[in-house]
Amino acid sequence: MSMPYYVTPEQYMKDRAEYAQKGIARGRSLVAAIYDAGVLLVAENPSASLNKISEIYDRIAFAGVGKYNEFHELRQAGIRWADSTGFSYSREDVDARALANFYAQYLGVTFTEGGKPLEVEILVSQLGIRNRPTKLYHVGFEGTITDETRFAVLGGDAETVKSRFVQHGDDITDLTTTLRNAVGALSGPDRNLTPNDLEVARLEDLGERRTFQRLSDDFVASLLS
Amino acid sequence: MFPAHSDPGPNFVALLQHLDIAPVVGGDTHLSPHATTVVALRSDTGVVLVADRQATSSYIANREVRKIAQADRHTAVAISGVAATGLELQKVLQLSFEHYEKMTDDVLSLEGKANYLSSFIGRINLQGPGIVLPLLAGFDLNHNRGRVFEYDGLGGCYEKSDFATIGSGSEFAEGALRLGYRDDMTIEECIELGALALYEAGDNDPATGGPDFVRNLFPIIVVVTADGFSEVSLERTREIFEAISARRAERQGRAGGQLR
Repeated sequence: MSMPYYVTPEQYMKDRAEYAQKGIARGRSLVAAIYDAGVLLVAENPSASLNKISEIYDRIAFAGVGKYNEFHELRQAGIRWADSTGFSYSREDVDARALANFYAQYLGVTFTEGGKPLEVEILVSQLGIRNRPTKLYHVGFEGTITDETRFAVLGGDAETVKSRFVQHGDDITDLTTTLRNAVGALSGPDRNLTPNDLEVARLEDLGERRTFQRLSDDFVASLLS
Repeated sequence: MFPAHSDPGPNFVALLQHLDIAPVVGGDTHLSPHATTVVALRSDTGVVLVADRQATSSYIANREVRKIAQADRHTAVAISGVAATGLELQKVLQLSFEHYEKMTDDVLSLEGKANYLSSFIGRINLQGPGIVLPLLAGFDLNHNRGRVFEYDGLGGCYEKSDFATIGSGSEFAEGALRLGYRDDMTIEECIELGALALYEAGDNDPATGGPDFVRNLFPIIVVVTADGFSEVSLERTREIFEAISARRAERQGRAGGQLR
């Protein structure tokens, strides 16, 4: 009769974390930053149709890195959560913090109990209004939530991208400057990213109920030039 | 997170059923069904909808009801019938289109929207005959023209090439539309004819509210073109109805004369 191997809980968690981190590191990075009129989301994404950034609700956007099918499922779950909450109560009651907690709970449970940990990192951003502040909630593969104050970087090369982004100072700037800094941080000194390689979206009040907009390649090009 | 075999997909009503949040479905109310007039006219560049604002039971229950709603950027949905169910229908429909758009990152086609509404009406009206009858009209971006859809009580969906009417004042409105409608009408001409049809309905049908100059309340006029959904301003609407009213006053209220 064969005996099962004994694995210490520490080792078990470490292995799972390593597995998830490896998966995430394979993907490209994403920067989210608050600018003077809203929230900007910039991802390196050569695909024009498999999106990393998307709309969750009137003032909430989602961004994910890592395995596409896994964060796609989380994105859809978030839209369902938001639409059914808004339907049952009111549109005003759909809040990014509650959504981030919903994600954290799911990711946490999957990390410790699931068949395999999810190889994703996600970001829930909210454009502030009245009693709700502008927020960036970063949720890790194991379910940890971080409330980022000015910007967040997700993905494999996060630390390097982060250090490049902070070089430009601590101030909240306008859309153009923020976009340039984000693209510069993603590309680094040796590469040049064109609008074609990027997926860019923002949350900004432009007089509509829904504040999420994708920025077209042409518009991004005009801001970068 | 749903298992693949029971995933509701981008369908919002299916999601609500999964979550056991039931949309309000009609029952008996004292409001007499279909006490309303809504007309929708089609033109190549878009559609025009005009609706009265009165909710009627044995008395006038409300003079400010909005029976046309924006379902999404290029679609309008109007209701007749039981008010609570109708308003809920508009809300669910609007959420459904938005939900689909966010889930799939793609906009539902106008025909897709019309068919989705079909099954919804069928289900609601199983609870009682003809609880709600809607009108769906919008600008079809895929085919670059305005389109109008009407429904029967079982959810049958019929596309109209010219115009559609719903509510108790339909007969009167339809008379005016039949005589006045032409294929090559502009949006502006559709607005004027639609307003005239509504005026006729308000004049003859006790359950349809006409222009109310005392309270400054007028039927709602909505236009949907390639540029999206927009409502004609109160000032412009007032002018349109004042003109019709002035023409009638000249003839001491006798019908006939100019159609537009």
